[in-house]
Amino acid sequence: MAELQKDPMTRGDFLGFGVLGTIVGALLTIPPAAFILGPVIDVNVRGESDVPDDWFRAGHVSEVPPDEPKAFVVAFPLNQVYSERQVIEEGVDTQEQTLRNAIWTSWKDLKPPGFIAELGQNRTPGISREQVIEAQGALNVLSSSCAHLGCPVRWLVKEDGGEFLCPCHGGIYDINGAYVGGPPPRGMYRYTYEVREDGYIYVKHEFDVGGDKGSQKPFVI
Amino acid sequence: MGAISKARSQAADAGKFVADWMEHRAGVITIMEHFLYEPVPKRGAWIYTLGSATLFLITLQFLTGILLLFYYVPTTDHAWNSIYYIMNEAYFGTLIRGIHYWSANFLLAVIGLHMAQVFFSGGYKAPRELNWIVGVVLLLLVVIIAFTGYALRWDQDGLWATVVGMKIGSYSPFVGAYTIQFLMGGDTIGPATLSRFFAIHVWLLPAALAPFIGIHLYLLRRHGVFGDEMEYRERMAKLQERQRLEEYEEYEDDGEPYVGRRDRADRD
Ligand code: HEM
Ligand code: FES
Repeated sequence: MAELQKDPMTRGDFLGFGVLGTIVGALLTIPPAAFILGPVIDVNVRGESDVPDDWFRAGHVSEVPPDEPKAFVVAFPLNQVYSERQVIEEGVDTQEQTLRNAIWTSWKDLKPPGFIAELGQNRTPGISREQVIEAQGALNVLSSSCAHLGCPVRWLVKEDGGEFLCPCHGGIYDINGAYVGGPPPRGMYRYTYEVREDGYIYVKHEFDVGGDKGSQKPFVI
Repeated sequence: MGAISKARSQAADAGKFVADWMEHRAGVITIMEHFLYEPVPKRGAWIYTLGSATLFLITLQFLTGILLLFYYVPTTDHAWNSIYYIMNEAYFGTLIRGIHYWSANFLLAVIGLHMAQVFFSGGYKAPRELNWIVGVVLLLLVVIIAFTGYALRWDQDGLWATVVGMKIGSYSPFVGAYTIQFLMGGDTIGPATLSRFFAIHVWLLPAALAPFIGIHLYLLRRHGVFGDEMEYRERMAKLQERQRLEEYEEYEDDGEPYVGRRDRADRD
Protein backbone atom coordinates (compact mmCIF):
# COMPACT_ATOMS: atom_id res chain seq x y z
CA MET A 1 0.00 0.00 0.00
CA ALA A 2 2.75 2.36 1.00
CA GLU A 3 4.48 1.71 -2.30
CA LEU A 4 1.34 2.50 -4.24
CA GLN A 5 0.78 5.73 -2.39
CA LYS A 6 4.14 7.12 -3.45
CA ASP A 7 2.72 7.36 -6.92
CA PRO A 8 -0.79 8.58 -6.21
CA MET A 9 -3.64 8.11 -8.61
CA THR A 10 -4.83 11.24 -10.33
CA ARG A 11 -8.47 12.17 -10.32
CA GLY A 12 -8.62 11.27 -13.98
CA ASP A 13 -7.08 7.87 -13.37
CA PHE A 14 -9.58 7.21 -10.64
CA LEU A 15 -12.56 8.14 -12.79
CA GLY A 16 -11.15 6.22 -15.71
CA PHE A 17 -10.72 3.09 -13.64
CA GLY A 18 -14.15 3.60 -12.13
CA VAL A 19 -15.92 3.96 -15.45
CA LEU A 20 -13.96 1.24 -17.19
CA GLY A 21 -14.28 -0.99 -14.19
CA THR A 22 -18.04 -0.60 -14.12
CA ILE A 23 -18.40 -1.30 -17.83
CA VAL A 24 -16.10 -4.31 -17.82
CA GLY A 25 -17.62 -5.55 -14.58
CA ALA A 26 -21.13 -5.31 -16.04
CA LEU A 27 -20.07 -7.03 -19.25
CA LEU A 28 -18.58 -9.87 -17.25
CA THR A 29 -21.31 -10.37 -14.66
CA ILE A 30 -24.63 -9.64 -16.37
CA PRO A 31 -24.64 -12.51 -18.89
CA PRO A 32 -23.79 -15.30 -16.44
CA ALA A 33 -26.05 -13.86 -13.74
CA ALA A 34 -29.01 -13.54 -16.12
CA PHE A 35 -28.22 -17.01 -17.47
CA ILE A 36 -28.70 -18.73 -14.14
CA LEU A 37 -31.33 -16.35 -12.76
CA GLY A 38 -33.49 -16.72 -15.91
CA PRO A 39 -36.29 -18.75 -14.31
CA VAL A 40 -36.56 -16.31 -11.38
CA ILE A 41 -36.92 -13.43 -13.86
CA ASP A 42 -39.50 -15.38 -15.87
CA VAL A 43 -41.62 -16.07 -12.81
CA ASN A 44 -41.38 -12.73 -11.03
CA VAL A 45 -40.89 -10.15 -13.76
CA ARG A 46 -42.68 -11.73 -16.70
CA GLY A 47 -45.26 -13.51 -14.54
CA GLU A 48 -44.80 -16.83 -16.30
CA SER A 49 -45.53 -20.23 -14.86
CA ASP A 50 -44.14 -23.64 -15.77
CA VAL A 51 -47.65 -25.09 -15.81
CA PRO A 52 -50.10 -23.74 -18.45
CA ASP A 53 -53.06 -21.76 -17.12
CA ASP A 54 -55.62 -24.26 -18.49
CA TRP A 55 -58.30 -26.57 -17.15
CA PHE A 56 -57.29 -30.22 -16.75
CA ARG A 57 -59.66 -33.13 -16.26
CA ALA A 58 -59.51 -34.91 -12.91
CA GLY A 59 -62.28 -37.50 -12.52
CA HIS A 60 -66.01 -38.05 -12.86
CA VAL A 61 -68.32 -37.01 -10.03
CA SER A 62 -69.78 -40.52 -9.93
CA GLU A 63 -66.34 -41.85 -8.95
CA VAL A 64 -66.31 -39.87 -5.72
CA PRO A 65 -67.66 -42.33 -3.12
CA PRO A 66 -70.24 -41.24 -0.53
CA ASP A 67 -68.29 -42.43 2.52
CA GLU A 68 -64.63 -41.57 1.93
CA PRO A 69 -62.42 -39.32 -0.20
CA LYS A 70 -61.03 -40.37 -3.56
CA ALA A 71 -57.65 -39.37 -4.99
CA PHE A 72 -57.33 -38.47 -8.67
CA VAL A 73 -53.90 -38.02 -10.18
CA VAL A 74 -53.70 -35.13 -12.62
CA ALA A 75 -50.59 -34.92 -14.77
CA PHE A 76 -50.15 -31.21 -15.46
CA PRO A 77 -47.92 -30.61 -18.49
CA LEU A 78 -44.64 -28.98 -17.51
CA ASN A 79 -42.81 -26.34 -19.50
CA GLN A 80 -39.26 -26.60 -18.17
CA VAL A 81 -35.89 -27.03 -19.97
CA TYR A 82 -36.12 -30.17 -22.05
CA SER A 83 -39.87 -30.31 -21.69
CA GLU A 84 -40.41 -27.01 -23.58
CA ARG A 85 -43.78 -27.33 -25.31
CA GLN A 86 -42.40 -26.51 -28.73
CA VAL A 87 -39.92 -29.38 -28.59
CA ILE A 88 -42.72 -31.79 -27.73
CA GLU A 89 -45.18 -30.38 -30.29
CA GLU A 90 -42.73 -30.59 -33.14
CA GLY A 91 -42.10 -34.20 -32.24
CA VAL A 92 -38.39 -33.75 -31.63
CA ASP A 93 -38.82 -35.33 -28.23
CA THR A 94 -41.95 -37.36 -27.68
CA GLN A 95 -41.64 -37.72 -23.96
CA GLU A 96 -43.82 -35.14 -22.31
CA GLN A 97 -42.73 -34.05 -18.83
CA THR A 98 -45.53 -33.71 -16.33
CA LEU A 99 -46.08 -32.57 -12.81
CA ARG A 100 -48.25 -35.23 -11.20
CA ASN A 101 -50.48 -33.89 -8.44
CA ALA A 102 -52.65 -36.20 -6.38
CA ILE A 103 -55.96 -34.45 -5.80
CA TRP A 104 -58.23 -35.51 -2.94
CA THR A 105 -61.91 -35.15 -3.71
CA SER A 106 -64.77 -35.80 -1.32
CA TRP A 107 -68.33 -34.70 -0.63
CA LYS A 108 -68.59 -31.97 1.97
CA ASP A 109 -69.35 -33.61 5.34
CA LEU A 110 -69.76 -36.85 3.35
CA LYS A 111 -73.16 -35.69 2.06
CA PRO A 112 -73.31 -36.36 -1.68
CA PRO A 113 -76.13 -34.76 -3.70
CA GLY A 114 -79.07 -37.10 -4.17
CA PHE A 115 -78.53 -37.67 -7.88
CA ILE A 116 -75.07 -39.17 -7.36
CA ALA A 117 -76.47 -42.46 -6.05
CA GLU A 118 -78.62 -42.74 -9.17
CA LEU A 119 -75.64 -42.25 -11.49
CA GLY A 120 -73.99 -45.41 -10.16
CA GLN A 121 -70.40 -46.09 -11.00
CA ASN A 122 -70.84 -46.00 -14.77
CA ARG A 123 -69.66 -42.46 -15.57
CA THR A 124 -72.87 -41.58 -17.40
CA PRO A 125 -72.09 -39.29 -20.29
CA GLY A 126 -73.63 -36.18 -18.85
CA ILE A 127 -75.45 -34.44 -16.04
CA SER A 128 -77.89 -31.56 -16.15
CA ARG A 129 -77.13 -27.89 -15.46
CA GLU A 130 -78.83 -28.06 -12.06
CA GLN A 131 -76.86 -31.14 -11.14
CA VAL A 132 -73.64 -29.36 -12.15
CA ILE A 133 -74.39 -26.53 -9.75
CA GLU A 134 -75.42 -28.94 -7.01
CA ALA A 135 -72.24 -31.05 -7.39
CA GLN A 136 -70.05 -27.96 -7.62
CA GLY A 137 -71.33 -26.75 -4.26
CA ALA A 138 -71.02 -30.11 -2.53
CA LEU A 139 -67.44 -31.00 -3.50
CA ASN A 140 -64.12 -30.69 -1.72
CA VAL A 141 -61.21 -30.59 -4.19
CA LEU A 142 -58.12 -30.64 -2.03
CA SER A 143 -54.40 -30.62 -2.62
CA SER A 144 -52.68 -33.71 -1.24
CA SER A 145 -49.64 -31.55 -0.56
CA CYS A 146 -49.68 -30.80 3.17
CA ALA A 147 -50.17 -27.14 4.12
CA HIS A 148 -47.20 -27.48 6.46
CA LEU A 149 -44.20 -28.43 4.31
CA GLY A 150 -45.75 -30.19 1.34
CA CYS A 151 -45.64 -33.92 2.05
CA PRO A 152 -48.44 -35.97 0.46
CA VAL A 153 -51.25 -36.61 2.96
CA ARG A 154 -53.15 -39.90 3.15
CA TRP A 155 -56.66 -40.80 4.20
CA LEU A 156 -56.66 -42.83 7.36
CA VAL A 157 -59.78 -44.89 8.04
CA LYS A 158 -60.82 -44.90 11.68
CA GLU A 159 -63.81 -46.29 13.57
CA ASP A 160 -65.62 -42.98 13.76
CA GLY A 161 -64.95 -42.01 10.16
CA GLY A 162 -61.42 -41.01 9.30
CA GLU A 163 -58.94 -38.19 8.83
CA PHE A 164 -56.22 -36.98 6.50
CA LEU A 165 -52.85 -37.72 8.09
CA CYS A 166 -49.53 -36.30 6.94
CA PRO A 167 -46.67 -38.83 7.16
CA CYS A 168 -43.97 -36.21 7.71
CA HIS A 169 -44.84 -34.46 10.96
CA GLY A 170 -48.29 -35.75 11.77
CA GLY A 171 -50.51 -32.94 10.49
CA ILE A 172 -54.21 -33.94 10.71
CA TYR A 173 -57.19 -32.62 8.69
CA ASP A 174 -60.85 -33.63 8.59
CA ILE A 175 -62.86 -34.84 5.59
CA ASN A 176 -63.33 -31.23 4.36
CA GLY A 177 -59.61 -30.52 4.65
CA ALA A 178 -60.09 -28.34 7.73
CA TYR A 179 -57.23 -28.19 10.22
CA VAL A 180 -57.53 -30.62 13.12
CA GLY A 181 -54.07 -30.92 14.65
CA GLY A 182 -50.32 -30.94 14.23
CA PRO A 183 -47.92 -28.37 12.78
CA PRO A 184 -49.81 -27.15 9.66
CA PRO A 185 -50.71 -23.45 9.99
CA ARG A 186 -54.03 -23.85 8.11
CA GLY A 187 -56.33 -26.35 6.43
CA MET A 188 -55.53 -28.18 3.20
CA TYR A 189 -55.28 -26.05 0.08
CA ARG A 190 -58.27 -26.22 -2.31
CA TYR A 191 -57.86 -26.25 -6.06
CA THR A 192 -59.68 -23.88 -8.37
CA TYR A 193 -62.12 -26.35 -9.92
CA GLU A 194 -65.34 -26.64 -11.87
CA VAL A 195 -67.77 -29.40 -12.69
CA ARG A 196 -68.94 -29.52 -16.30
CA GLU A 197 -71.95 -31.03 -17.98
CA ASP A 198 -69.97 -34.10 -19.03
CA GLY A 199 -69.92 -34.89 -15.30
CA TYR A 200 -66.17 -34.44 -14.92
CA ILE A 201 -64.29 -32.33 -12.41
CA TYR A 202 -61.79 -29.92 -14.01
CA VAL A 203 -58.96 -28.27 -12.13
CA LYS A 204 -56.36 -25.59 -12.69
CA HIS A 205 -52.86 -25.78 -11.22
CA GLU A 206 -53.90 -23.07 -8.83
CA PHE A 207 -55.31 -22.81 -5.32
CA ASP A 208 -58.50 -21.02 -4.43
CA VAL A 209 -57.50 -19.21 -1.24
CA GLY A 210 -61.06 -18.03 -0.70
CA GLY A 211 -62.63 -14.67 0.05
CA ASP A 212 -61.13 -11.62 -1.62
CA LYS A 213 -57.69 -13.18 -1.80
CA GLY A 214 -58.61 -14.93 -5.04
CA SER A 215 -56.22 -17.56 -6.32
CA GLN A 216 -52.65 -18.43 -5.59
CA LYS A 217 -50.04 -20.51 -7.42
CA PRO A 218 -49.06 -23.71 -5.63
CA PHE A 219 -45.52 -23.51 -4.36
CA VAL A 220 -42.91 -26.15 -5.28
CA ILE A 221 -45.20 -29.02 -6.21
CA MET B 1 26.62 -60.29 0.83
CA GLY B 2 23.46 -62.19 -0.15
CA ALA B 3 21.59 -61.18 -3.28
CA ILE B 4 18.52 -60.19 -1.32
CA SER B 5 20.26 -57.88 1.10
CA LYS B 6 22.21 -56.40 -1.79
CA ALA B 7 19.01 -55.63 -3.66
CA ARG B 8 17.58 -54.21 -0.50
CA SER B 9 20.44 -51.81 0.09
CA GLN B 10 20.42 -50.81 -3.57
CA ALA B 11 16.71 -50.02 -3.35
CA ALA B 12 17.31 -47.99 -0.21
CA ASP B 13 20.08 -46.05 -1.95
CA ALA B 14 17.88 -45.43 -4.97
CA GLY B 15 15.09 -44.29 -2.69
CA LYS B 16 17.40 -41.92 -0.89
CA PHE B 17 18.69 -40.60 -4.18
CA VAL B 18 15.19 -39.88 -5.47
CA ALA B 19 14.20 -38.23 -2.20
CA ASP B 20 17.33 -36.05 -2.19
CA TRP B 21 16.86 -35.18 -5.83
CA MET B 22 13.28 -34.07 -5.20
CA GLU B 23 14.22 -32.23 -2.03
CA HIS B 24 16.88 -30.20 -3.78
CA ARG B 25 14.70 -29.25 -6.69
CA ALA B 26 11.25 -28.93 -5.13
CA GLY B 27 11.87 -28.92 -1.39
CA VAL B 28 9.47 -31.84 -1.14
CA ILE B 29 10.72 -33.21 2.16
CA THR B 30 10.61 -29.79 3.79
CA ILE B 31 7.08 -29.28 2.57
CA MET B 32 6.01 -32.71 3.77
CA GLU B 33 7.47 -32.07 7.20
CA HIS B 34 5.82 -28.72 7.26
CA PHE B 35 2.43 -30.15 6.39
CA LEU B 36 2.50 -33.45 8.23
CA TYR B 37 4.21 -32.72 11.53
CA GLU B 38 2.23 -30.80 14.02
CA PRO B 39 2.79 -30.67 17.72
CA VAL B 40 -0.46 -31.44 19.47
CA PRO B 41 -1.27 -31.27 23.17
CA LYS B 42 -0.39 -34.51 24.88
CA ARG B 43 -3.68 -34.98 26.65
CA GLY B 44 -6.58 -36.17 24.48
CA ALA B 45 -4.51 -36.20 21.31
CA TRP B 46 -7.05 -38.47 19.58
CA ILE B 47 -9.64 -35.75 19.64
CA TYR B 48 -7.40 -33.70 17.36
CA THR B 49 -7.93 -36.24 14.57
CA LEU B 50 -11.55 -35.13 14.04
CA GLY B 51 -10.51 -32.46 11.56
CA SER B 52 -8.44 -34.95 9.62
CA ALA B 53 -11.36 -37.39 9.73
CA THR B 54 -13.55 -34.70 8.16
CA LEU B 55 -10.98 -34.08 5.44
CA PHE B 56 -10.71 -37.81 4.81
CA LEU B 57 -14.47 -38.19 4.40
CA ILE B 58 -14.69 -35.18 2.07
CA THR B 59 -11.92 -36.72 -0.03
CA LEU B 60 -13.91 -39.97 -0.11
CA GLN B 61 -16.96 -38.01 -1.29
CA PHE B 62 -14.98 -36.48 -4.13
CA LEU B 63 -13.52 -39.81 -5.20
CA THR B 64 -16.74 -41.84 -5.03
CA GLY B 65 -18.73 -38.93 -6.48
CA ILE B 66 -16.50 -38.82 -9.54
CA LEU B 67 -16.90 -42.59 -9.93
CA LEU B 68 -20.71 -42.33 -9.70
CA LEU B 69 -20.64 -39.81 -12.53
CA PHE B 70 -19.49 -42.54 -14.91
CA TYR B 71 -23.01 -44.01 -14.81
CA TYR B 72 -25.31 -41.43 -13.25
CA VAL B 73 -27.58 -39.57 -15.71
CA PRO B 74 -29.05 -36.29 -14.43
CA THR B 75 -32.41 -36.26 -16.24
CA THR B 76 -35.84 -36.92 -14.76
CA ASP B 77 -36.47 -39.88 -17.03
CA HIS B 78 -33.13 -41.60 -16.45
CA ALA B 79 -31.80 -40.60 -13.04
CA TRP B 80 -33.57 -43.38 -11.16
CA ASN B 81 -32.77 -45.99 -13.82
CA SER B 82 -29.09 -45.06 -13.85
CA ILE B 83 -28.86 -45.47 -10.08
CA TYR B 84 -30.70 -48.78 -10.48
CA TYR B 85 -27.95 -49.76 -12.90
CA ILE B 86 -25.25 -48.66 -10.44
CA MET B 87 -26.87 -50.73 -7.70
CA ASN B 88 -27.59 -53.87 -9.71
CA GLU B 89 -25.30 -54.12 -12.71
CA ALA B 90 -22.14 -52.06 -12.23
CA TYR B 91 -19.24 -53.91 -10.59
CA PHE B 92 -18.98 -52.82 -6.95
CA GLY B 93 -21.74 -50.28 -7.66
CA THR B 94 -23.40 -50.98 -4.31
CA LEU B 95 -20.07 -50.39 -2.60
CA ILE B 96 -19.24 -47.13 -4.39
CA ARG B 97 -22.70 -45.65 -3.90
CA GLY B 98 -22.85 -47.03 -0.37
CA ILE B 99 -19.61 -45.27 0.51
CA HIS B 100 -20.86 -42.01 -1.02
CA TYR B 101 -24.11 -42.32 0.93
CA TRP B 102 -22.70 -43.37 4.31
CA SER B 103 -19.68 -41.14 4.14
CA ALA B 104 -22.01 -38.18 3.52
CA ASN B 105 -23.96 -39.09 6.64
CA PHE B 106 -20.87 -39.65 8.80
CA LEU B 107 -19.32 -36.49 7.38
CA LEU B 108 -22.05 -34.33 8.90
CA ALA B 109 -21.73 -36.13 12.24
CA VAL B 110 -17.94 -35.83 12.26
CA ILE B 111 -18.08 -32.14 11.33
CA GLY B 112 -20.41 -31.66 14.29
CA LEU B 113 -17.96 -33.42 16.61
CA HIS B 114 -15.04 -31.47 15.17
CA MET B 115 -16.87 -28.20 15.80
CA ALA B 116 -17.79 -29.29 19.31
CA GLN B 117 -14.15 -30.11 20.03
CA VAL B 118 -13.00 -26.70 18.81
CA PHE B 119 -15.77 -25.01 20.74
CA PHE B 120 -15.21 -26.74 24.07
CA SER B 121 -11.43 -26.45 23.90
CA GLY B 122 -11.74 -22.74 23.14
CA GLY B 123 -9.90 -23.22 19.86
CA TYR B 124 -11.94 -20.48 18.19
CA LYS B 125 -10.35 -17.73 20.28
CA ALA B 126 -7.76 -15.22 19.07
CA PRO B 127 -5.83 -15.52 16.84
CA ARG B 128 -7.91 -18.34 15.36
CA GLU B 129 -11.29 -16.58 14.91
CA LEU B 130 -10.92 -16.44 11.16
CA ASN B 131 -10.51 -20.19 10.98
CA TRP B 132 -13.78 -20.63 12.86
CA ILE B 133 -15.47 -18.38 10.31
CA VAL B 134 -13.97 -20.32 7.40
CA GLY B 135 -15.12 -23.49 9.16
CA VAL B 136 -18.69 -22.22 9.32
CA VAL B 137 -18.57 -21.48 5.57
CA LEU B 138 -17.33 -25.03 5.01
CA LEU B 139 -20.15 -26.41 7.16
CA LEU B 140 -22.79 -24.49 5.18
CA LEU B 141 -21.29 -25.62 1.88
CA VAL B 142 -21.30 -29.26 2.98
CA VAL B 143 -24.88 -29.02 4.21
CA ILE B 144 -26.04 -27.60 0.88
CA ILE B 145 -24.04 -30.23 -1.01
CA ALA B 146 -25.68 -32.95 1.05
CA PHE B 147 -29.14 -31.44 0.45
CA THR B 148 -28.65 -31.18 -3.31
CA GLY B 149 -27.12 -34.68 -3.48
CA TYR B 150 -30.15 -36.31 -1.91
CA ALA B 151 -32.39 -34.96 -4.69
CA LEU B 152 -30.24 -36.64 -7.32
CA ARG B 153 -31.68 -40.05 -6.42
CA TRP B 154 -34.99 -38.81 -7.86
CA ASP B 155 -36.98 -41.46 -6.02
CA GLN B 156 -39.87 -40.86 -3.61
CA ASP B 157 -37.49 -40.35 -0.68
CA GLY B 158 -35.25 -37.89 -2.47
CA LEU B 159 -38.13 -36.01 -4.08
CA TRP B 160 -40.20 -35.41 -0.95
CA ALA B 161 -37.17 -34.61 1.17
CA THR B 162 -36.34 -31.99 -1.45
CA VAL B 163 -39.89 -30.62 -1.48
CA VAL B 164 -39.89 -30.31 2.31
CA GLY B 165 -36.40 -28.78 2.33
CA MET B 166 -37.37 -26.19 -0.24
CA LYS B 167 -40.60 -25.33 1.56
CA ILE B 168 -38.59 -24.77 4.74
CA GLY B 169 -36.22 -22.50 2.80
CA SER B 170 -39.14 -20.65 1.23
CA TYR B 171 -40.11 -19.29 4.65
CA SER B 172 -36.89 -17.27 4.92
CA PRO B 173 -37.79 -13.59 5.00
CA PHE B 174 -37.46 -11.59 1.75
CA VAL B 175 -35.16 -13.94 -0.15
CA GLY B 176 -36.92 -17.25 0.56
CA ALA B 177 -39.20 -17.39 -2.47
CA TYR B 178 -36.52 -16.20 -4.91
CA THR B 179 -33.94 -18.64 -3.60
CA ILE B 180 -36.35 -21.51 -4.05
CA GLN B 181 -37.32 -20.42 -7.56
CA PHE B 182 -33.63 -20.18 -8.36
CA LEU B 183 -33.07 -23.71 -7.10
CA MET B 184 -36.17 -25.13 -8.82
CA GLY B 185 -35.51 -23.35 -12.08
CA GLY B 186 -39.10 -22.13 -12.22
CA ASP B 187 -42.17 -22.07 -10.01
CA THR B 188 -42.56 -25.85 -9.64
CA ILE B 189 -40.27 -28.78 -9.08
CA GLY B 190 -39.44 -30.47 -12.37
CA PRO B 191 -36.73 -31.36 -14.87
CA ALA B 192 -35.01 -28.00 -14.38
CA THR B 193 -34.74 -28.72 -10.66
CA LEU B 194 -32.78 -31.91 -11.21
CA SER B 195 -30.42 -30.26 -13.70
CA ARG B 196 -29.72 -27.41 -11.32
CA PHE B 197 -29.27 -29.58 -8.27
CA PHE B 198 -26.86 -31.66 -10.32
CA ALA B 199 -24.84 -28.63 -11.42
CA ILE B 200 -24.71 -27.36 -7.86
CA HIS B 201 -23.91 -30.74 -6.31
CA VAL B 202 -21.10 -31.86 -8.57
CA TRP B 203 -19.62 -28.61 -9.87
CA LEU B 204 -20.47 -25.35 -8.21
CA LEU B 205 -20.15 -26.21 -4.55
CA PRO B 206 -17.35 -28.81 -4.70
CA ALA B 207 -15.37 -26.19 -6.63
CA ALA B 208 -16.18 -23.63 -3.93
CA LEU B 209 -15.36 -26.12 -1.18
CA ALA B 210 -11.80 -26.78 -2.35
CA PRO B 211 -10.32 -23.28 -1.87
CA PHE B 212 -12.01 -22.90 1.51
CA ILE B 213 -10.47 -26.19 2.63
CA GLY B 214 -7.14 -24.76 1.47
CA ILE B 215 -7.61 -21.58 3.51
CA HIS B 216 -8.73 -23.64 6.51
CA LEU B 217 -5.56 -25.72 6.41
CA TYR B 218 -3.32 -22.74 5.77
CA LEU B 219 -4.71 -20.92 8.79
CA LEU B 220 -4.43 -24.07 10.85
CA ARG B 221 -0.72 -24.39 10.03
CA ARG B 222 -0.16 -20.72 10.63
CA HIS B 223 -1.38 -20.83 14.21
CA GLY B 224 -1.13 -24.51 15.10
CA VAL B 225 -3.84 -26.42 16.89
CA PHE B 226 -4.99 -24.96 20.12
CA GLY B 227 -4.29 -26.88 23.29
CA ASP B 228 -3.07 -26.64 26.82
CA GLU B 229 -0.65 -23.69 26.65
CA MET B 230 1.86 -25.17 29.11
CA GLU B 231 2.13 -28.52 27.39
CA TYR B 232 2.16 -26.81 24.08
CA ARG B 233 5.04 -24.52 24.87
CA GLU B 234 6.97 -27.35 26.42
CA ARG B 235 6.66 -29.53 23.35
CA MET B 236 7.47 -26.66 21.03
CA ALA B 237 10.62 -25.94 23.01
CA LYS B 238 11.67 -29.60 22.80
CA LEU B 239 10.99 -29.70 19.08
CA GLN B 240 13.01 -26.56 18.43
CA GLU B 241 15.82 -27.86 20.56
CA ARG B 242 15.91 -31.10 18.55
CA GLN B 243 15.90 -29.19 15.28
CA ARG B 244 18.77 -27.06 16.43
CA LEU B 245 20.80 -30.12 17.36
CA GLU B 246 20.09 -31.77 14.02
CA GLU B 247 21.21 -28.73 12.12
CA TYR B 248 24.34 -28.51 14.16
CA GLU B 249 25.13 -32.14 13.38
CA GLU B 250 24.59 -31.57 9.71
CA TYR B 251 26.88 -28.58 9.79
CA GLU B 252 29.57 -30.64 11.46
CA ASP B 253 29.12 -33.55 9.04
CA ASP B 254 29.89 -31.92 5.75
CA GLY B 255 31.86 -28.96 6.99
CA GLU B 256 29.88 -26.58 4.83
CA PRO B 257 27.89 -23.61 6.00
CA TYR B 258 24.34 -24.76 6.48
CA VAL B 259 21.73 -23.01 4.37
CA GLY B 260 18.88 -25.43 4.70
CA ARG B 261 15.75 -25.78 6.59
CA ARG B 262 16.57 -23.43 9.41
CA ASP B 263 16.78 -20.47 7.04
CA ARG B 264 13.52 -21.27 5.42
CA ALA B 265 11.81 -21.88 8.72
CA ASP B 266 13.04 -18.50 9.90
CA ARG B 267 11.53 -16.79 6.97
CA ASP B 268 8.01 -18.08 7.50
C1 HEM C 1 -18.98 -32.76 0.66
C2 HEM C 1 -19.14 -33.48 -0.36
C3 HEM C 1 -20.37 -34.29 -0.75
C4 HEM C 1 -21.46 -34.67 -0.01
C5 HEM C 1 -21.78 -34.35 1.45
C6 HEM C 1 -22.32 -35.45 -0.89
C7 HEM C 1 -23.55 -36.01 -0.53
C8 HEM C 1 -24.37 -36.76 -1.35
C9 HEM C 1 -25.59 -37.39 -0.95
C10 HEM C 1 -26.21 -37.34 0.45
C11 HEM C 1 -26.09 -38.04 -2.04
C12 HEM C 1 -27.33 -38.91 -2.09
C13 HEM C 1 -26.85 -40.34 -2.03
C14 HEM C 1 -27.96 -41.31 -1.98
O1 HEM C 1 -28.95 -41.01 -1.33
O2 HEM C 1 -27.82 -42.37 -2.59
C15 HEM C 1 -25.21 -37.80 -3.14
C16 HEM C 1 -25.39 -38.28 -4.43
C17 HEM C 1 -24.53 -38.05 -5.49
N1 HEM C 1 -23.34 -37.35 -5.44
FE1 HEM C 1 -22.53 -36.46 -3.79
N2 HEM C 1 -21.75 -35.52 -2.12
C18 HEM C 1 -20.55 -34.83 -2.08
C19 HEM C 1 -19.67 -34.63 -3.12
C20 HEM C 1 -19.86 -35.07 -4.42
C21 HEM C 1 -18.97 -34.79 -5.53
C22 HEM C 1 -17.69 -33.98 -5.41
C23 HEM C 1 -19.51 -35.41 -6.63
C24 HEM C 1 -19.02 -35.45 -8.05
C25 HEM C 1 -17.99 -34.86 -8.54
C26 HEM C 1 -20.74 -36.06 -6.23
C27 HEM C 1 -21.58 -36.79 -7.07
C28 HEM C 1 -22.77 -37.37 -6.70
C29 HEM C 1 -23.64 -38.10 -7.60
C30 HEM C 1 -23.40 -38.35 -9.09
C31 HEM C 1 -24.75 -38.52 -6.84
C32 HEM C 1 -25.97 -39.30 -7.34
C33 HEM C 1 -25.84 -40.78 -7.15
C34 HEM C 1 -26.53 -41.27 -5.91
O3 HEM C 1 -27.52 -40.67 -5.49
O4 HEM C 1 -26.06 -42.26 -5.36
N3 HEM C 1 -20.93 -35.84 -4.88
N4 HEM C 1 -24.16 -37.01 -2.70
S1 FES D 1 -45.42 -31.63 5.97
FE1 FES D 1 -47.29 -32.34 6.71
S2 FES D 1 -47.09 -32.08 8.83
FE2 FES D 1 -45.19 -31.30 8.08
